[in-house]
Amino acid sequence: MAKFYPLKVADIRRETRDSVVLTLQPSADATDEFEFVQGQYLTFRHKFDGEELRRSYSVCSGISDGTLRVGIKKVDGGWFSSFANDDLKVGDTLEAMTPMGNFHSSLKPDEARHYLGFAGGSGITPLVSIIKTVMDKEPKSTFTLVYGNRSANSIMFREELEDLKNSHMERLNVIHILETEADIDLFSGILTPDKCDDLFGRWVNVKGADLAFICGPEPMMLTIAAALKKHGMDEAAIKFELFASAQPGKAKKRAAPKGGSDAGGICKATIILDGVRREIEMKKHGQSVLDAAISDSLDAPFACKAGVCSTCRAKVIEGETEMEANYALEDYEVERGYVLTCQCYPLSDKIVIDYDQ
Amino acid sequence: MSDENDILAYLEQGGKLTAPDNAPARYRAELLRMMASFVDSELAGAAGFADVINQGPGITERIAASRIVLEKFDHGERVLKIMGAFGANTTRYQTVHPWSARIARDDDLGTTRRDGDMRLNVLHYPINGWADAVAMNVLMGAASVIQLKELARCSYQPLAEAFQDILPREQRHLELGREGMQKLVSEGAASEVANSVDYWESRVAASFGGPASRRFEMLQKFGLRHQPNEALLEAWKANIEKTVSETFT
Ligand SMILES: Cc1cc2nc3c(=O)[nH]c(=O)nc-3n(C[C@H](O)[C@H](O)[C@H](O)COP(=O)(O)OP(=O)(O)OC[C@H]3O[C@@H](n4cnc5c(N)ncnc54)[C@H](O)[C@@H]3O)c2cc1C
Ligand code: FES
Repeated sequence: MAKFYPLKVADIRRETRDSVVLTLQPSADATDEFEFVQGQYLTFRHKFDGEELRRSYSVCSGISDGTLRVGIKKVDGGWFSSFANDDLKVGDTLEAMTPMGNFHSSLKPDEARHYLGFAGGSGITPLVSIIKTVMDKEPKSTFTLVYGNRSANSIMFREELEDLKNSHMERLNVIHILETEADIDLFSGILTPDKCDDLFGRWVNVKGADLAFICGPEPMMLTIAAALKKHGMDEAAIKFELFASAQPGKAKKRAAPKGGSDAGGICKATIILDGVRREIEMKKHGQSVLDAAISDSLDAPFACKAGVCSTCRAKVIEGETEMEANYALEDYEVERGYVLTCQCYPLSDKIVIDYDQ
Repeated sequence: MSDENDILAYLEQGGKLTAPDNAPARYRAELLRMMASFVDSELAGAAGFADVINQGPGITERIAASRIVLEKFDHGERVLKIMGAFGANTTRYQTVHPWSARIARDDDLGTTRRDGDMRLNVLHYPINGWADAVAMNVLMGAASVIQLKELARCSYQPLAEAFQDILPREQRHLELGREGMQKLVSEGAASEVANSVDYWESRVAASFGGPASRRFEMLQKFGLRHQPNEALLEAWKANIEKTVSETFT
């Protein structure tokens, strides 16, 4: 089960008006656990008004920098990112899982490879890690970074990239693209297919590239991937990292159970699946919510039926239920109302179960 | 969660997800189900094949069978690890079902799923001797390769990459099977092999699942599937026809 380690906030650097770079220090006995591969991310947990949220942030250090850093951009109204930008102080302790993710390629110190990188906004963080590592560990390789931002003052790691460029003049090329304020046509606006054609025609050699890394908002990833393929890059040579989160924000409180505690042992269960609500009647004992849904010919998801795999996870929107066994969900998920429906039995006369959340 | 619609639109346009955080609830469930089905099939397949090792006529055959067992366990473990990132309890998962359990040779499951684990139905039938194991391995191996090619395109990048790594090794299992089959036929066991091919053919065919369903449409929108079951089945039939005609001439 997920294990979290304390990380001390050793430094906070204000990177732009709405972003910070945190330097994190694992405890002495956990430094090995936090060895990372370039481009990986950490998942943090934090309680907001007693409720736990988890959020992931990419490491932005190179593998031999000797530090563990993440860059966090504030999202308007965002819980964790606002907390990190506004409330966090040096000396505080955060909790994170060990590094995860596959946004990297294995290093080949003897080879001269040509990499392309595309970053939009905070999507620069894992690319900084990758670029630093490649510059350091693959002395013959070159890197071209195309980096899009809204405006000049929202560019994260601007100075750091500048310094890197100065140290590796022949090997690192950085092309900034700004939505507003730029004098050359090509370097302003957003990356449309036409703009990509332009860019790839004149400035970026796609044919000679071995690998491309893309990290940014969804439309940008699609546009660039399509353009790269059009200009001859093999799909397998394109690596993606998507920051988009389908994780819930803070939970709404669950509605209290309605009706008495026992109505002849029958429960009216409403099942929401693929946007459709279906009401079924089920016995309170002897049949799990999942089995009741399936026997009513609903195509509810499941695999192990033993409380182990979490495929059958759903959220209790209304009413009370209990789980017979739970080997997959963590406490914070249970607190939010998630259940393993293969292990879940109704306690109240009416329940509403949502597989879509 | 206002991001969710954007993510679904992105998937419909061929976008890739890269981390558990990216996955909307229904996507997560279908992805986990797909992974569980693969893991269970590998674990059950390996467990069934393990018993066959001792029946191999010589050391070469036993090495081939051992290798298949070893690698299938390894493939199961790799994908189980990805399930673990979504919260599945990987330690408990390994022992939650009796992977070596089999039904009787003449039982007929058809296409209805059996309760218990998510292995493909064909892996519920027992193997009956070395020639039978070889025939099963050829028919099932060809099916696995076709399924893996399909799944190696799926929209969950970490899984797609795992399948891309697994594919050539499963391909090798198939080749080992074909070599074994050639050898058996050349050594005079042709009718035994033919009987086994008969036995397994319909059972492996059933493992491709029914024609396009509503679920398939959803999986397609999620980018988890691309080609319908019928197309995969046709590809397999063509492949098997060729193998059989090459082996028995
Ligand atoms: C693998 C991975 C790596 C990541 N790495 C980084 C990183 O290095 N740096 C970084 O700053 N972020 C990163 N993210 C994004 C980060 O995990 C959070 O999703 C983000 O910070 C918002 O969390 P929150 O709690 O502040 O906002 P929430 O409270 O979850 O959201 C508040 C509102 O903002 C919207 N919203 C959420 N995310 C975004 C977004 N990205 N853009 C616009 N609106 C949004 C939500 O829909 C919601 O309406 C990464 C995500 C993943 C999955
Ligand atoms: S189906 Fe596996 S936990 Fe319910």
